[in-house]
Amino acid sequence: MTPQDATPKPPSYPADLENSMILPRQRASSPTASLASLPYRRSNASLHQLFKSTASISGSRPSSGTATPTASVVPGSVFSPASRQNGTGTPGSLPPGVSDEQRNLIQRAFAPHVVVLADTETEQLIRGKGFEGGLLQLLRPFGESVPGKVTIRDSVGASKSYDDFGIRFVGVNEALGLPPASGRPSDLRIDTANGQRDGGRESSTSIRPRRTGGDVAQIEELVDRHLQYTEFNTQGGGMAPDYLNLGELVPQESSASPFYSLYLQRLLSGLPLVPHETFAHPVAGVIAISSRNADPIEELRRLYRRQHDGDLRFPQWVDNDFLRYYVLVHDEETGDIAKSNATFEAMKRHFGLHCHLLRIKSHQCIPSDDDSVRLPTCEWMSASEELAEIQKREIADDITDPTPYIPDSDITAIKTFVREIVTQSIVPNMERAVAQWNEQVLARRRGISGRFMSLSKRWTPFGSSRSSSSSSTLSSNSNYDSLQGFYRPDAPEALMRKLADYCFMLRDWKLALSTFDILRQDFQNDKAWRHYAGAAEMAALSALLQTAPMSSKTRTENIDAWIEAASYSYTDRQRSAAPYYALRTLALGLELLRLRGSSAADDAARWAARIIETGLVGAIGTALFTERTAACYAVRTGVGAFKLGARRRKAALWAILAAENWWRLDKALQAEKCLEMALRLYGQHTEGSEGKAVKLPFPQMQAYIDELRQQILGLRLTNRGLHEQGEVEEGEQSLLVEEATETLDTSPRAHRKSIIGAAAPPMDLGPLSPRLERSSEIEKADDHFEGA
Amino acid sequence: MSYYFTIFSPTDTPLFTHEFGTSRSGGDGLPHFTTSERQLAPFILHSALDIVEEVQWGPSTSSGSAPMYLKHIDKYANNYVSCWITGANVRFLLLTRPRDEALGLTSGGAAGGSRGSLAGGRAGLSGGSSAGLYNPTNAATEEAVKNFFVDVWDAWLKTVMNPFYRAGNGDVVKSPVFRQRVVTAAKKFL
Repeated sequence: MTPQDATPKPPSYPADLENSMILPRQRASSPTASLASLPYRRSNASLHQLFKSTASISGSRPSSGTATPTASVVPGSVFSPASRQNGTGTPGSLPPGVSDEQRNLIQRAFAPHVVVLADTETEQLIRGKGFEGGLLQLLRPFGESVPGKVTIRDSVGASKSYDDFGIRFVGVNEALGLPPASGRPSDLRIDTANGQRDGGRESSTSIRPRRTGGDVAQIEELVDRHLQYTEFNTQGGGMAPDYLNLGELVPQESSASPFYSLYLQRLLSGLPLVPHETFAHPVAGVIAISSRNADPIEELRRLYRRQHDGDLRFPQWVDNDFLRYYVLVHDEETGDIAKSNATFEAMKRHFGLHCHLLRIKSHQCIPSDDDSVRLPTCEWMSASEELAEIQKREIADDITDPTPYIPDSDITAIKTFVREIVTQSIVPNMERAVAQWNEQVLARRRGISGRFMSLSKRWTPFGSSRSSSSSSTLSSNSNYDSLQGFYRPDAPEALMRKLADYCFMLRDWKLALSTFDILRQDFQNDKAWRHYAGAAEMAALSALLQTAPMSSKTRTENIDAWIEAASYSYTDRQRSAAPYYALRTLALGLELLRLRGSSAADDAARWAARIIETGLVGAIGTALFTERTAACYAVRTGVGAFKLGARRRKAALWAILAAENWWRLDKALQAEKCLEMALRLYGQHTEGSEGKAVKLPFPQMQAYIDELRQQILGLRLTNRGLHEQGEVEEGEQSLLVEEATETLDTSPRAHRKSIIGAAAPPMDLGPLSPRLERSSEIEKADDHFEGA
Repeated sequence: MSYYFTIFSPTDTPLFTHEFGTSRSGGDGLPHFTTSERQLAPFILHSALDIVEEVQWGPSTSSGSAPMYLKHIDKYANNYVSCWITGANVRFLLLTRPRDEALGLTSGGAAGGSRGSLAGGRAGLSGGSSAGLYNPTNAATEEAVKNFFVDVWDAWLKTVMNPFYRAGNGDVVKSPVFRQRVVTAAKKFL
């Protein structure tokens, strides 16, 4: 129990509001301290929206709290365009029963990265529109899902269309491991200016938000924030939203909690730039100049040179000859379109087809403008970025949200640009690269000479002549630079890894799998352990992502071994362990295995237990993965009348453990949800009165569960008591009278609603304000785009 | 080394529960569960029934008839579960919680081999590099648990043959004689 339980604060919001405003940013290290300010946060509409939108995006399923007429559960939501969350980010609206969301999430997570580099004039132009982050901030949300379907041809020539394909726009600085050009408005930096960049390098140790993810602690902190927010803000609504869900007595046990989805998504957001995998390596680079620039062609050359071998060059293990895409940003208001067209023609002559003319309005848009549209939230921002965003909005006291607005025409222009760059440049270029490497590198390696080569590498005496005759001219037998720990980007292994990664990003799992398998052996021979782990991880994932059924023999022989090898090599074999990657391997492996059902779910649960046992995650993660283990076991329903092979009791055990974990973390809602799931699995129909409930086999179990339930109930009441005293009394009364019904009826459902909400169409709240109405229109527009 | 022994009826009702510690190598025969471990033990045993059914109806490992002794079947954290299944589908489940040293959790792990009980400590003799670590599939461990189960089974048969006791109906076994026999078997083998 938290110390402040005893002193519930009187609900005098205006006075305390200021108190919570001046609180410095709260770290999760002191959750009790930040709890105090939590109940008042909901008065901040923009903050609420941030939480709401991320939670619903991550759940990949709109929260019914806003999609149903009970949208005004939280008072502040009147100010936020409530129906906005409906469609954002749900790639294809999945039917609620199908729990394919994790697979989609994984597919979308590994997307091609595109580096954005803009000249000073462009950055100034975009900043004039109210975007502190410059061109990158403007482009980033739109890259995450390319409008319309993207057709990809795989290695055997079969075409397949995906409507959830996306790219990630990254800045030059994050790609280099430097702090991003702009985190807060206070420290603006023009990233193309030389002198100022050094200043940024120095301050890289400060707590500025990084767009690069991979920090498990921050992910936990973020999820904790979301949990706290839900804990303190969804309970106040009382029973009202429950009426809609009364018919639905049995929620899907297999559906993931939105917090788990959020955890996974943040785990996969902002993949770090590392030598042993090339997902974060740029596939293409956007070089943008403004039409205001005096000498555009020369400026483009200068920027290209800086990126290719100047100060913005990538580390030497990154292939530097990626596709460059030249963009001319035309200012619709002050610029001369004839002049821009002429410049654009010149660009096309000089640089070929990979050019685009982006026409953007330069004035700053305000929400009350006629056709202004709120900039969509970035779905794949890293945990630290989102944390910074939350903190920013907590501190900010204005009721309007600070997200910039842009005119509708700009959105259309940017969407066209994104679609064009993806379908006409990036995807064809990747396909070509795959075909070329497949022919030149992989086929050679796979062929008879390649086998000899890899053999001869192992037995040095007659290997030297052969390997020197091959493409690499290194004197040693191995291309692996064991001192610095990478392959040169032109080494066959590096090219093959890139080929496999490209295949993975283009969702050609078959070729990816065979390539990763070859790579795995090569890396093992070279003792490049981290590369080996990466190849094994991706081999397992690409095998699991294939939709074809898989025999349990291959699964246990190959995939388990690969996951095992990857997690072991990521953590134990190295002096510098990479627990983040081990966690990624296990978490993704377990998700994909779980989708395969039946006996694979056992393996999934085993990997989940491994995550917990090896301590790869913190407290929040432990609770989440415990809950997930229960879900893994719950997938196995068994066959026949006796449900042979079911894992009901196992699932119940893990659900109890999860409930206890959540209770220890003061998360009453989650704890209650888990407890309820456990009781259902144990066959206790708590819907009935207390007397009729089936007793658990062991009296000790019954006693334990009863005690746990009491504790959770107490926790929930104290949590609620922090901001709503009246309800506490009411709750206490019901605690005395009929506690079982109360447990079930108030809060678990209030929560259940948020995860099981069906995809309802954007509802009409009635246009309370022009802004609200507008944003719901935008919402529809979004839906149309994604669904098309 | 602490043990938690439970007999489950075919309908998953616990008929008999006994907690004890090892009596070998200077053990005092008393269980050393922590409070939370003791609370969790019933849950773990109950959840292991899933695996029991899986093994019971799964492909037989031994040639010919299905074995009654299913050996080590399940594990949760540091708790190992062994199972014996009688002809009437009554399940004997034994939860073993090795000492921390025997799990290698503390620094004194290597010394566990000489002081451990028959069912755990001496497992390390053939364990090679992991000497002293508890290994549930070790031959000595399995044999010790098996002997224990055989003795309990013997006593169990005599108990359920009592015409005044109807074990099939889920009646809890209260017979002090039976409990005494289980205690003796535990003292003898574990």
